[in-house]
Amino acid sequence: MAEHYLTSPLTDANIKALHIGDTVYISGQVFTCRSRLQKYIFDEGNTLPFSTEDRNVLIHNGPIVIRENGEWRLVSFMPTSSIRFEKWGADSVEKWGLKMIVGKTTMGKKTAEMMKEKGCVHVSPRSVSPNLWIDSIKVEKVHLFDELGSIEAAWFFTLDKLGPFIVDIDSEGNNLFDTLDGDIAERKRKALAGLGIDSEFEFTKLY
Amino acid sequence: MIKTEIYESVLFDTVKRGATEISPDVKKAFEEAIERESYPDAKKGLIATLESMEKSRVLQNPLCVDTGWPIFYFKVGNSCVLEGGFVELENAARRTVERATKMGYLRATMKHPLTGYDPGNNIGMNIPDFTYQFVEGDNIEISYAAKGGGSECFGGTRHRIVAFADGIKGIEKFIIDSFVASARAGAVCPPSVLGVGIGGTANVAANLAKEAACLRTVGSRHPDPMFAKIEEELYGALNSLGIGILGAGGDTSVLAVNVEYAYTHIAGIAVATSTNCMVARRASTRIKADGSVEKMISPMWFGDR
Repeated sequence: MAEHYLTSPLTDANIKALHIGDTVYISGQVFTCRSRLQKYIFDEGNTLPFSTEDRNVLIHNGPIVIRENGEWRLVSFMPTSSIRFEKWGADSVEKWGLKMIVGKTTMGKKTAEMMKEKGCVHVSPRSVSPNLWIDSIKVEKVHLFDELGSIEAAWFFTLDKLGPFIVDIDSEGNNLFDTLDGDIAERKRKALAGLGIDSEFEFTKLY
Repeated sequence: MIKTEIYESVLFDTVKRGATEISPDVKKAFEEAIERESYPDAKKGLIATLESMEKSRVLQNPLCVDTGWPIFYFKVGNSCVLEGGFVELENAARRTVERATKMGYLRATMKHPLTGYDPGNNIGMNIPDFTYQFVEGDNIEISYAAKGGGSECFGGTRHRIVAFADGIKGIEKFIIDSFVASARAGAVCPPSVLGVGIGGTANVAANLAKEAACLRTVGSRHPDPMFAKIEEELYGALNSLGIGILGAGGDTSVLAVNVEYAYTHIAGIAVATSTNCMVARRASTRIKADGSVEKMISPMWFGDR
């Protein structure tokens, strides 16, 4: 499993070199988004008020940022679950030209297919360590703060080797968690058998 | 009579500690998990998480960016008298949540369920949530728990009515199936503190499960050997699955399995699960009738466990 230090904006060559299970540290310009922003753009017909061309890394995240002495201070940061944004995943990859999405809980088949078509990856955190990460993140500015509120706004961050993240969807459409499912299912079968619950067990159907 | 300024100050301190300081029992469970972890990346992840949690105590920063649903538990002595009564206690808790949100200890996370309106202070219809337990004496014990969105939204919290015909096997299978589905790709932020409620109506089972997840001391055992056995069996079974920290493989998938029960109807057994995320945030404080204040290392919601 290779280790990669990447700087956004990412290139197709950067992305092609990444495979599920690889470790990634990210530097450079990124932006944040949660469902309210994707709904605002894709369902409500608004236009993204910035270009993602030189900022093609999206972090699914609702940070805590407070205003202190006229400056933004990042209090806390942790990538949030991407799967709940699956509805807009493929559109986000395609229309925003994303090369990487950072989030927890991976994404679904539709997004993975678009990632394969366009050359994009999804990466996940390996820990819950906001207080180690905030030192690697500089807040640049914020878009749509008034429209969407502090958590759901699009924050612009500059990252300095933020990580580690693990590649869980690569640009060939492979999903790391799909590869783990089989082993976990087999171990579950054994664990149940150990408790005297065989694979023939069926719940009495009450409803 | 316990003065408003005393319980309001305790409420704030308890919310702040719950948001920013790891509980000693959770820390111990983390240290033990790090010690036995054989997957190198999972070990690094557990170490980084513990380091971050230690740093949040120093920085007085939230343990996680998702500061969760704000939930209060009050264990109230039968003779406890509060200035302004319990209505004022709840008002003070609302003021506390608003203040803690403005100060960055809590993220403004609570929204209107239909419109998405964000009041910016985590206060709204039925939020924060209050639960009371009445006991002998004249103290009040205030516990604050933060229930994270990941731990609550991805199937870690659910229930099923199991027929008596299926008994303990049905109960254990439901719990294991539920946990595996909810922990996939790290959805519920494992390693989890898994709470289980058995019996009662569905809401009783669900409340017991949530309280077992959020309030039981990690490492404690149910005093009834039948339920202690279920806790031990499930702890062993779930930690044999290799789900690990955030679902990417590891030896520790649950930090604890805590089971609580209620008598049930002859018609069936409600079984509920509630996962708490790995940071398992909570804090508790006791106020005595004379107004003196003691920080508690554990909520002791269920007797001594």
